[in-house]
Amino acid sequence: MANNFVPPGQHRYLRACMVCSIVMTTSRFRHEGCPNCEDFLHLKNDTEAIESCTSQVFEGLITLANPARSWVAKWQRLDNYVQGVYATKVSGQLPDEIRSAIEDEGHVYIP
Amino acid sequence: MSDPRDHDQPDDSEEEEDFNPAPADASDDEGNGAGDNDDDVESSPRQTRKASPARNEAADDEDDEGEGDEEDVAGANDDDEDEEEEDDEEDEEIQGHRRKRARRKDKRSAFFELEAEVDDEDEDEEDEDDAEHEGFIEHTEAGEAEQFAREDDARHRELDRRREMENDMDLEQEAERLKKQYGNKRSARGMGESAVVPQRLLLPSVDDPSIWGVRCKEGKEREVVFSIMQRIQQKQGTKDELGITAAFERGGPNSVMKGLIYVEAQRQTDILQALEGMLNVYPRTKLLLVDIKEMPDLLRVQKTPTLEPGAWVRLRRPPKHSGDLAQVIDITDNGLEARVKFIPRLDYGLRDDALAATTADGKRKRPMGPGPKPPRSCSARWRPERDTPGTSPTNNWQYNGDEFEKGFQVKDIKIQHLTIKDVNPTLEEVTKFASGGEDGVENIDLKSLAASLKDSTINVTYLPGDVVEVYDGEQKGVVGKATNVQGDIVTMEVVAGDLAGQTIEVPTKGLRKRFRPGDHVKVIGGSKYREEVGMVVKISEDRVTLLTDQTNTEITVFSKDLREASDIGGQGSLGQYEMTDLVQLDPTTVGCIVKIDRESMVILDQNGDKRHVMPSQIANKLPRRKLAVAADRNGAEIRPDDVVKEYGGMGRQGKIVHIHRTYVFCHTNATNENAGIFVSKVSNVATISAKGGRINAAANTSDLSTMNPAAKRPEAKNNMGPPKQMFGRDRLIGQTVTIKKGGYKGLLGRVKDTTDTHARIELHTKSKIISVAKTDVVVRDSVSGNVIKNYDSRKPGAFGMGRPGGDRAAPDWSNAGGRTPMASAGSGGRTPAWKTPSAGGAGGRTPAWNRNGDGGRTPAWAAADGSRTVNPYDGNRTAYGGSGGRTPAWSSGSKTPAPDSFGHGSKTPGYGGSGGSDPWGSGSKTPYGAAPTPGASGGDTWGYTPGASGGSGAYDAPTPGAGLLGAPTPAAMNAPTPGAYSAPTPGAMNAPTPGGGWQSGWGADSAPTPAAAAPTPAASGFSYAVNAPTPGAWAAETPAAGPRYEDD
Repeated sequence: MANNFVPPGQHRYLRACMVCSIVMTTSRFRHEGCPNCEDFLHLKNDTEAIESCTSQVFEGLITLANPARSWVAKWQRLDNYVQGVYATKVSGQLPDEIRSAIEDEGHVYIP
Repeated sequence: MSDPRDHDQPDDSEEEEDFNPAPADASDDEGNGAGDNDDDVESSPRQTRKASPARNEAADDEDDEGEGDEEDVAGANDDDEDEEEEDDEEDEEIQGHRRKRARRKDKRSAFFELEAEVDDEDEDEEDEDDAEHEGFIEHTEAGEAEQFAREDDARHRELDRRREMENDMDLEQEAERLKKQYGNKRSARGMGESAVVPQRLLLPSVDDPSIWGVRCKEGKEREVVFSIMQRIQQKQGTKDELGITAAFERGGPNSVMKGLIYVEAQRQTDILQALEGMLNVYPRTKLLLVDIKEMPDLLRVQKTPTLEPGAWVRLRRPPKHSGDLAQVIDITDNGLEARVKFIPRLDYGLRDDALAATTADGKRKRPMGPGPKPPRSCSARWRPERDTPGTSPTNNWQYNGDEFEKGFQVKDIKIQHLTIKDVNPTLEEVTKFASGGEDGVENIDLKSLAASLKDSTINVTYLPGDVVEVYDGEQKGVVGKATNVQGDIVTMEVVAGDLAGQTIEVPTKGLRKRFRPGDHVKVIGGSKYREEVGMVVKISEDRVTLLTDQTNTEITVFSKDLREASDIGGQGSLGQYEMTDLVQLDPTTVGCIVKIDRESMVILDQNGDKRHVMPSQIANKLPRRKLAVAADRNGAEIRPDDVVKEYGGMGRQGKIVHIHRTYVFCHTNATNENAGIFVSKVSNVATISAKGGRINAAANTSDLSTMNPAAKRPEAKNNMGPPKQMFGRDRLIGQTVTIKKGGYKGLLGRVKDTTDTHARIELHTKSKIISVAKTDVVVRDSVSGNVIKNYDSRKPGAFGMGRPGGDRAAPDWSNAGGRTPMASAGSGGRTPAWKTPSAGGAGGRTPAWNRNGDGGRTPAWAAADGSRTVNPYDGNRTAYGGSGGRTPAWSSGSKTPAPDSFGHGSKTPGYGGSGGSDPWGSGSKTPYGAAPTPGASGGDTWGYTPGASGGSGAYDAPTPGAGLLGAPTPAAMNAPTPGAYSAPTPGAMNAPTPGGGWQSGWGADSAPTPAAAAPTPAASGFSYAVNAPTPGAWAAETPAAGPRYEDD
């Protein structure tokens, strides 16, 4: 598991995935893609996709140590995701084509 | 990964009603999964299970497997155990659970076949507890348990088989269904089912880890969260792995949860352990255990208010503009940035200096800083000449990296740097935006303003007594009356339904006001219709359509914004201004208020344009002049409350509300546009009916304008509206009269009221008021009972066009005439009176006399002429008289020259004969010309519609003028005649007046003629001269004239 820690100095580069709301730095999104949504978002090495599918506007950070056991994770519907830092709320809208690509309504970004 | 859910799902679907906090064991199981994941040893079987998604039969399979692979599992578990020894105690505990549970399941299935049926995973707390105990036991006696299991194997299998048989079909179907339902969701990893589970089913149970609030340094919440993450990762896989499952913060600029982070863990010690020695967080202070019920609230997310172009926001980010109002122009696709425009705060000079200083010492680097807080640039006007590197034809500028458009700074700003809620833009601020519009035209979008105001006043107010309905929640549909309101809780007394008579408490959230069609309501909430009052005509859901009282339009508002209205048509005033008030917008513009909003009003100005204005833009309110008079296109007198109809145009008909100079504001019921108010020119309306049955002379006599030579002149037409028939109070009112004709003949009475032709007389004999034609009454001295003949002259038409002097003269006149001993002698007798110098005032009247020229009077005049012949001027007068009243005389060649000569000055000789006063007399006499002038000087101008001013002026203000002028004219008798004809003279008079500083607009309007006649005010003197060639006269008057002008 990659290091999820982001030093405070890097906080300004944080972005949240609009689908799973995981919070990572832009560069990590670029290098690794979204750990939960990479299957269909394909953020890896795609700066543009990162721009459109992740948001700098989010609130409420959640550290998930144990997504499976945590009620918080369950409540936030994060329990299937990997360990990491998530946001409670991510502002922004996915591009329509992506949304239709994820042909179901399971967006988490506005729980 | 998702199997626990899968298990839950079938449970759920199969035994819907007794859903039990299955999540508990779900999480346990998950825990296992996660643990297994890390544990290499057992990972494979687990993972296979995990990987097989949506295997809802998994339960059964597992059972089977459980039996089949009992030993394997046990072995695995043993292995686990070995490893776990080193693991964190909690992990171990969990593992223990699982292991034990797996086994226990098997055991149990032997004993409780029913329960074991499908939801073997469905354990309740009791089981959990048991599990713990058993776990302990099992720990110690693991081998024994295994043995026991083996012994039971056979029975187990049998049991299972039977159960399987029983459920096989059902389960397969069920699985099929579930697969169909959820299977495809799997494609999107990790999403899918989570969206399907209603969140209420995810509510925390006691089995879930607890959440504790931990104090931390405000503003450092995020850092702490990341620090925790870091620590979690550091410790992961080590023996002191952290026991916390999650930690989160709900900080944020507006959050009330600042300075707190929340940590989820099974035990408090885990938290202490996890946060030990961490910066910015203080686990040693009191930890706040969050109640289970409150846990979801912690994670509640407020829906972000959506921004729309046109909305008002406040800026947070460019620090210089912090707090400034801005308007959203556009929003980027992903909704994260908005393009806003706002008023730039530029400090041209100051900034330049700062730059210079910087470059000079090179130390201070404050290139773009706000510098000394620049004063808000109140004017949105951009001054390009001073500081623009680049100009563009489109009025867009680039300056210092900022973009400016049409005077506004335009910038893309992240939404988080905008304050969206509670913007509360004031009208002043908004006005600045509006006035900066591209063409400078004020175009406040009151609608968007209202919208943002609405946003800011979302809260609904309930008052005791409101009839409310619960539309949400368990009490849905209950109707009651609010009895008490406390914060968000409304106590209501239920009036209908099963709960009738009970008192319940409901949060306002699920409450709405209830109205019935026909209710009279007032909009109290912040919609743009605020303050409107109307009747409910339709209700659908919480939208109520009402018909407003004021404009009779249908508006739809939310019921929360309504209140039962106690006042009818309550609205309609803003400060001192009320509907239909006449207000002055600028010196040349007046308007009638046709709509009043909360902070602004709509005004229909004299040109028929509607304007949105604020009270501050109104110069003053013009008092309603009850006595305002004007002449309609037929020359008939119109006053407020008369009903007139537009001639041509739209042919609107309405009741006069205001008369202002040449404009009438009328109210019609035919339309509700502008509240039924329309504006028209007086010259463009015709009387339909006058108030109180006043009959217009115009109706009886021929059109005045055709008789008025002055009015005939085309250029004179506008300002020289037909004179009024009557001015001010009729002198007849209050007089004692006897009735000459009719059933009441001979009776004595007092005149209570008059119209043009009739008088209402209160009889002395019996208390009754009758209406009698004025011609049928004889005025008597109230004391002596003597007949006062002079009153005849005031009969309708008496004040015809010839009547320039104004009514002030009239009193004199009546006095003089009436009092003169000769008065009783009839017209003949009066003639002398006329001649007498004392009748100087009458000079002005002379034309009137002519006009009087009813058949009856004429002879008298003629007689007068005869008698007067003595006087050289008599000749003149005669002619005059004839001309005025007696058209034939007019037409006669003899007379014609007279007027002509006057007009041209050729008459001057004749004039000269009349003496110096002549010209003056003419001046004074000029019916229209003279009249307006005084009017103007008197300062009454305002009150008069231009057209009217000619007339009313003539009567009110002119008097002084007339007096002045009249007095000098001893020979006034002669003079008047000319006056009547010499339209130019008035022109002369008029022209100066405007020149004298009165509004040019006025001048132009009311007296185009004068302008033509004597454009230069200075020339007025000359025009005078022209008119009154008599130098003597001139000299004499000049002084008199002087002061008058000054007055002007």
